[in-house]
Amino acid sequence: MTTATAPEPTVYHLRRSAEGSALDIRDFNLWYGKSQALHDINMEIQKGSVTALIGPSGCGKSTLLRCLNRMNDLIDDLRIDGQIQVGDFDIYGPGVDVIALRKRMGMVFQKPNPFAMSIYDNVVYPLRVDGVTKRSVLDETCERALRSAALWDEVKDRLKESALGMSGGQQQRLCIARGIASDPEVLLMDEPCSALDPIATLKIEELIHQLRGHYTIVIVTHNMQQAARVSDNTGFMYLGRLIEYGDTNTIFTNPKKKQTEDYVSGRFG
Amino acid sequence: MSDTTPGGHSDDYGTELRAQQSSDAIASRLRQRDMKTRASVKLGEKVAKWVITIGGLMVIVAVLGIMVFLFRVVAPMLGGGEILGNVRYQLDTRQDTIWNNGDEFQTLGTVVAAEGRVITFHIPTGTEIARTQWDFNGAEVTAVAGTLARDRIALGFDDGTVRFAEVGFASTTTSRRNLPDGLRDLDARDRELDGRVFTEVGTGDFRTLSPVVSLGESQAISDSAIVALDYRIGGTRERPTLSFATVDAAGVLRVSRSRVTVNMMTGAETVDTTTVELPSLGLADGVSVTGILLSGSADRAIVATDDGVVFRYDLRNFDNPSLAEQRRVASEGVAVTAMTFLSGEESLVVGGEDGSVGVYFRLQTGTDATTDGRELVRAREHTPMPAAIVDLSEAQRQKEFSAVDADGNVWVYHSTSDRVLFELARSGDVTTPSTAMIFPRSNGVMLVSQGGEVEAWQYRDSHPEVTLGVLFGRIWYEGYSEPQFVWQSTAGTDLAEPKYSLVPLIFGTLKAAFYAMIFAAPIALMAAIYTSEFVHGRVRATVKPMMEMMEALPTVVLGFIAALVLAPFVEEWIAAVLLGFIAVPLGLMVGAFAWQALPPRIVLRYDGLPKFALMAMSILITAWLAYRAGPWFESALFDGDFKAWTTGRIGTGTPFMFIILLPLSYMAVAWGFRRVMGEFWRGRMRSMARHEAGRLDALRWLVLLLGAFVLSYAVASVLTLVGYDPRGGFVDSYQQRNALVVGFVMAFAVIPNIYTLTEDALNSVPGHLRAGSLATGATPWQTAMWIVLPTAASGVFSALMMGFGRAVGETMIVVMAAGNTPIMEWNIFSGLRTLSANIAIELPEAVKDGTNYRVLFLAALTLFIMTFVLNTIAELIRQRFRKRAFQL
Ligand SMILES: Nc1ncnc2c1ncn2[C@@H]1O[C@H](COP(=O)(O)OP(=O)(O)OP(=O)(O)O)[C@@H](O)[C@H]1O
Ligand SMILES: [Mg+2]
Repeated sequence: MTTATAPEPTVYHLRRSAEGSALDIRDFNLWYGKSQALHDINMEIQKGSVTALIGPSGCGKSTLLRCLNRMNDLIDDLRIDGQIQVGDFDIYGPGVDVIALRKRMGMVFQKPNPFAMSIYDNVVYPLRVDGVTKRSVLDETCERALRSAALWDEVKDRLKESALGMSGGQQQRLCIARGIASDPEVLLMDEPCSALDPIATLKIEELIHQLRGHYTIVIVTHNMQQAARVSDNTGFMYLGRLIEYGDTNTIFTNPKKKQTEDYVSGRFG
Repeated sequence: MSDTTPGGHSDDYGTELRAQQSSDAIASRLRQRDMKTRASVKLGEKVAKWVITIGGLMVIVAVLGIMVFLFRVVAPMLGGGEILGNVRYQLDTRQDTIWNNGDEFQTLGTVVAAEGRVITFHIPTGTEIARTQWDFNGAEVTAVAGTLARDRIALGFDDGTVRFAEVGFASTTTSRRNLPDGLRDLDARDRELDGRVFTEVGTGDFRTLSPVVSLGESQAISDSAIVALDYRIGGTRERPTLSFATVDAAGVLRVSRSRVTVNMMTGAETVDTTTVELPSLGLADGVSVTGILLSGSADRAIVATDDGVVFRYDLRNFDNPSLAEQRRVASEGVAVTAMTFLSGEESLVVGGEDGSVGVYFRLQTGTDATTDGRELVRAREHTPMPAAIVDLSEAQRQKEFSAVDADGNVWVYHSTSDRVLFELARSGDVTTPSTAMIFPRSNGVMLVSQGGEVEAWQYRDSHPEVTLGVLFGRIWYEGYSEPQFVWQSTAGTDLAEPKYSLVPLIFGTLKAAFYAMIFAAPIALMAAIYTSEFVHGRVRATVKPMMEMMEALPTVVLGFIAALVLAPFVEEWIAAVLLGFIAVPLGLMVGAFAWQALPPRIVLRYDGLPKFALMAMSILITAWLAYRAGPWFESALFDGDFKAWTTGRIGTGTPFMFIILLPLSYMAVAWGFRRVMGEFWRGRMRSMARHEAGRLDALRWLVLLLGAFVLSYAVASVLTLVGYDPRGGFVDSYQQRNALVVGFVMAFAVIPNIYTLTEDALNSVPGHLRAGSLATGATPWQTAMWIVLPTAASGVFSALMMGFGRAVGETMIVVMAAGNTPIMEWNIFSGLRTLSANIAIELPEAVKDGTNYRVLFLAALTLFIMTFVLNTIAELIRQRFRKRAFQL
């Protein structure tokens, strides 16, 4: 549809949080083999706020999200260029401990992916991985994480049961509990509600509201209303580029770019 | 979402109707499309369905067919025998019959009556063929005995003399042209003329049988009547040694040995007899001798009494015989009424007045109770007969014997398999005492009563020596000190007892598979985990086909490499090999730590194939180091000679246990460290840069390793103190062809199998689980161990089962490298024989439909069932696993 015209720069109207930025993406490019999936992304993700990434399918939202905790590392022929600054270090810099990095970021996937173990073991998995064996610490963390994920009351009597026996919505909240169990700074969510029914979705959205402020949340979503409801800032991506990034209200009510406007009003995609 | 309207309707109907119509249009369009594709797809589908169904059915039919075929070959072995016919008639004598003999074709029989009348008759019809009258010079026969072949007998007389006689048969072949005239038809098969019987033998030739009857000169042995006698012929045909033992009425026992020398020039025979008197039995009053037995080489004599005791004389020193042993074989007052050796003279069968039938072996037990350290041991107890045993007669080529009791029952026993093969049905008078003989081919019994009545049975039992108990149970074989599982299907002589226990073979099969799995399982699992979880796709793409190519390696090649290269090498460098088992894993770990400690730039640069090559290098280097350090290692731990050490003669079990316990000790030490210092250590590590932490971690590892060494040595020492020594158990004296070599090489045959299946199982673990784990900050190793492996557990387990099944069925490697000794010990340094190797080795030489042949088929069936069960279990587990993987 669009011919290769010179890319226009991203339009920013960011709502900055008091604590500054948690992640700072600078001149970021990414190639899968020969095809470039991300072009010149510059994006400051605000600490303690919820940032939504929207855009048509295949525009690179998941790719960008996975770059934030280097989940892309296992993909062959992946090449990146640019920086992603966390605090004062570049997560793609030399000598970065990927494992330690990931421990600072929880991640929730599109499809609930509880492990084939008990609910309890699922939640404390990040701690076990970290070598924590003390029972009291594990118990405490489990309860805290499940409470944060608004799941505690539903499962507190069946912690030892298999996580696979839960409903889809419960499983996804379990995954969120797992994602925040190790008390990460950032929580990455890739379409966390796309496999859920409206009621479960609502619960997750409420949860995101509660978590706002404690965690920096980046959420990828196809659901415009959801983005509008839960996020402080929204980034609109299109064909691997960040077209517009800024205050959610502005994006949805008064977008600065034509493409953004077309997209949020449902005219293409 | 989208506001384009389907179709191009521009009329003004309500939206509902429009929607209705458009959906109709879509439906009809779909239907049209369906119609178009259906014909070809349908045909293809049908063909495919048929091909698949037929193929599948054929596979099932083939498998079942093989099973049925194997079973049909095996089945006759476990059935009983059958009686083919039975005849009875009265001979022309009313005198007591003292001896009888029959030829191996059951054509002619000869009976010697007490007054010296020798009648030869046609067995099927009872027609008299020849008659001879022996002149005993007025003496009366008081005892008689014959050799195993029954054609040479010795007669003892009331005047204390002994005479040898011959009652045999001569067999020649007459061609049809030379057939004499005037033949008399005996029956449909046989014709007779002048004491010769002609039997057509298919080729147009006639087997010609005639009796050979002669009586020798009398020799004076005693002053009183001979009451018991035994007679044996040993030595060579040219220079036979005739031995006989006598008991006279005065209770004096004598053994005589006659050397017959034939003068080459004149052809004259000179008989040179020496007689020695045996030490007295010292029998109490009223106790008398009921029988005497002499061994073929006349080195021992057994005397039985009516008080239930047998005496054994040691005659090895002929001039100075000694009473070696006295053994009670029946309770007091119960007479031993019959005795015989089974063919081979290893077993002594003793029949009692109470009908009991026991078998005794003369075993070297080192006992002080006898003069020669041997003793008679009751090894078998056969089914007793209803009344006193009056006659025992052994078969010539099998461990079979016939027994007659006082009630006239005639039973045929097989000793090895502890079976009563036949309880022969008598059709005539059963009250007159009779004696029986088994025909030389063990296919019939002839019974002659004191009154001259003959009864003969023909039977067939092709596999009397096999029962399920023989195949799968412990049997007390001749010459063994206890019941055992033994496989020894053939031996140098006919007289040996065939031993058909499949248990040592099953054991060997499992042992080989077990040791193969010890090597294969860790390597294959590690390799699978490594390629599926750790390496880049590019490396996997080269490594996986390489591993799978190993599968194409012909096992016979692996086998001869194992036998001709590896076995001698391992034998020579056993210490280096042992060291290698420690050194290679250590080397790999050292390499890994070294890698961790490298500066990050280099790590990033050389990740992938170079790293892989480096690991291979580290294996090679440590292997070389182990090879160089081998002798040093051997002298430090095993007194410089590992093979001598394994025999248990030198050194203690400590060094070996030290090595074995190392991995366990390391785990224990590492676990202890984590418990005590874990939190603190993690804190330290986290505050450091990656490569610095790597160095520190390497240091920690070294310390732990040192701890493991110390712990392992301490535990091994304690074990030695407690008295535990692995030697004699899973370590024992070293043989060149051993389970270590076989296990190691067979591992190469099964690794590709296990590897491929495991890799597939691991790969089929959904990626989102892996991602979920990695995202929490788990290392790839933790992810592999805690998430991927448990999820794929059943697939991995089934891969292991498949590998085990493959190892169980593997043939060529074991044939060539396992030494093929069917022994039952776990010793890793000894050989073994597997079911499959056994079949490969013995089947070419087994006589079709013979016992060995059928037992080998049973071995095949067993093998088939074993692999079938293993594979089925593996498959079932895999199915279950698939279902579960689907749910995730
Ligand atoms: N592992 C991969 N290898 C090669 N190309 C990939 C890979 N993953 C994604 N891509 C490509 O990168 C582009 C961006 O993909 P991405 O998954 O980030 O899109 P997305 O915005 O998340 O889409 P959706 O909304 O459908 O999830 C797509 O063109 C996709 O084909
Ligand atoms: Mg996506």
